[in-house]
Amino acid sequence: MTNGLDATSRSPVVSTSFSAADRLYEPYETILVRYEVTLPPGVAVGSVERSILWYTEGKGEEDIGVHHFERITERSAVIAATEGGSIEVRLPASPLSYEGIIVKIRWCVRVRLFFESGRDFVSEHVFELGHLPVATMPSV
Amino acid sequence: MALVHSGKHGKAKVCHVRRPPFLRRSRGLPRSERVRFPRFFAKKRGHRRTVSEVWGSVAEGLFHAGLVLAGLVFGALLATGVAVPEWRINHHFVEAEATVVGKGLARRAAAREQTWEPALLLRYETAAGQIEAWALRDGPLAERRRALALLDAVALDDRMPCWYDPDAPHTAVLARGYNWWMWALTLLLPGALLAFGGAGFTRSIATWRKSEERRAAAFRSIAGESHPAIPPCDDLVNSPGTFLRFRLPTSGAEGWTLLGFGLFALLWNTVLTVLAVTAGLDLMGGRIDWLLLGILVPFVAVGVAGIGLFVRQLVLTSAVGPTQLEISDHPLRPGATYDILLAQGGSGIFGDLTVTLELEEQATFRQGTDTRTERLVVWRAAIASWQDIQFVPGTRFEAKARLTLPTTAMHSFSSEHNTVAWRVVVHGRPARWPAFSRGFPVVVYPADPSQALTNTREKPP
Repeated sequence: MTNGLDATSRSPVVSTSFSAADRLYEPYETILVRYEVTLPPGVAVGSVERSILWYTEGKGEEDIGVHHFERITERSAVIAATEGGSIEVRLPASPLSYEGIIVKIRWCVRVRLFFESGRDFVSEHVFELGHLPVATMPSV
Repeated sequence: MALVHSGKHGKAKVCHVRRPPFLRRSRGLPRSERVRFPRFFAKKRGHRRTVSEVWGSVAEGLFHAGLVLAGLVFGALLATGVAVPEWRINHHFVEAEATVVGKGLARRAAAREQTWEPALLLRYETAAGQIEAWALRDGPLAERRRALALLDAVALDDRMPCWYDPDAPHTAVLARGYNWWMWALTLLLPGALLAFGGAGFTRSIATWRKSEERRAAAFRSIAGESHPAIPPCDDLVNSPGTFLRFRLPTSGAEGWTLLGFGLFALLWNTVLTVLAVTAGLDLMGGRIDWLLLGILVPFVAVGVAGIGLFVRQLVLTSAVGPTQLEISDHPLRPGATYDILLAQGGSGIFGDLTVTLELEEQATFRQGTDTRTERLVVWRAAIASWQDIQFVPGTRFEAKARLTLPTTAMHSFSSEHNTVAWRVVVHGRPARWPAFSRGFPVVVYPADPSQALTNTREKPP
């Protein structure tokens, strides 16, 4: 289980637990993520977005690809989703998590809270799809 | 406003709080809760940029709104200055029979030159009575002699049709019709500004205060695709081989270089020819434009160099001979072995010919106002190598080899700014020509998913 932010801050805390303790998943495997949100007192959430996506890191501009996205705006559903919830999705065949030299691909679960004040808070929890080794520079 | 760190084993997380720009720093709040004024400039701090997305969206929206406004202003100016007067002449002006009662030349003087246009004093009947007014004819001419010749073709008391403005009867014209070039230009510039600005402004409004996940999901969801983010290989399997299943196309770098040199030489020397003809006509007319002659000297040097580079590239491309590569199957899978057939044309002796399999990462990024792409080969393995090849005239070198992908090979990957690409590369070292490398892209899919799922360990309860 991991937390989105230090509990001593006045920001929300999002705790997640993955169905695979090591967070390693195979292509086409089903991922189940449970999360709990601890809100600071006096904060009202207007909508919640939950997504599973990959994004690139490294030298290039960041690209993202969304595999699963849901936006919750209905009042009672928002209250339920703010207390906690789960995301269960069958993962795709690609792209696999990749640790290259100038290109890296990461998979993550994001829970984004939109407050009624206009602010938003996003908590991101990375997992791995596939088990590729880390790329190293070829010897000349 | 953001905490970012990342790692290999899925323990990383990114959390940030985004606040709207209209909020200001509040006294009495803890420092972590204060609102900073958004940055106007971008700075890279580790893996993230410090630029404000809100300000970026606002600036982008304002820029596109400015383009729309400029398009409207230009459109209004051009419509009232060109389109409306011409349309009124063709639809509102009244036809009348005019008598030529006077002749003259209208002279317009610009900074360094002047134009001449025949002008006729016309007498015609209007609803308000008989009127005399000047009307221009035949358009402006650079030579006074030609304008006078046209004027001499009209005699006093000649009769001809004219059209006058019923709202201003002293305004008359001798011809009607549309200048289509002017209309095209009138529509082109404001139209382009309105289309570009309107599309950008609409996009800014549509994405305003939407999360990047929501924008990406609206643009394209990868759910449902069989192999998301893997480039298609349709263009790589549409050419059957002579001996093996597919003949792979080359990456085309040599061809593009040759085309680039050729286009540059052609365009540059076309401009050079126009300038040279202009200078030649001046010289024949007894005038010497020293500025033009001075410009011509470096232009000729660049033009000759351009032709030289093109010819050199053409000789290098054609002298080495074509390279063909066939493969037994495609797309490739990690851990699988494939037959390949190399066919190399040429003449004389090749010191060596080597085939390698390479994995290249490509990252496209902005640097100031430039967009750059960095390429890095992160994995390379030799497949086969041949030494001291003697070509027999009229035949080509042919050899088979076997290619095996590592079981843990990364699959091909392609997104807007990042690419992981596989290719087979043929390196040749002819005795009489410079060494060359020719790439043949291949697409690698992830390992067979059924095998992957059999390796899945039991999930914790």
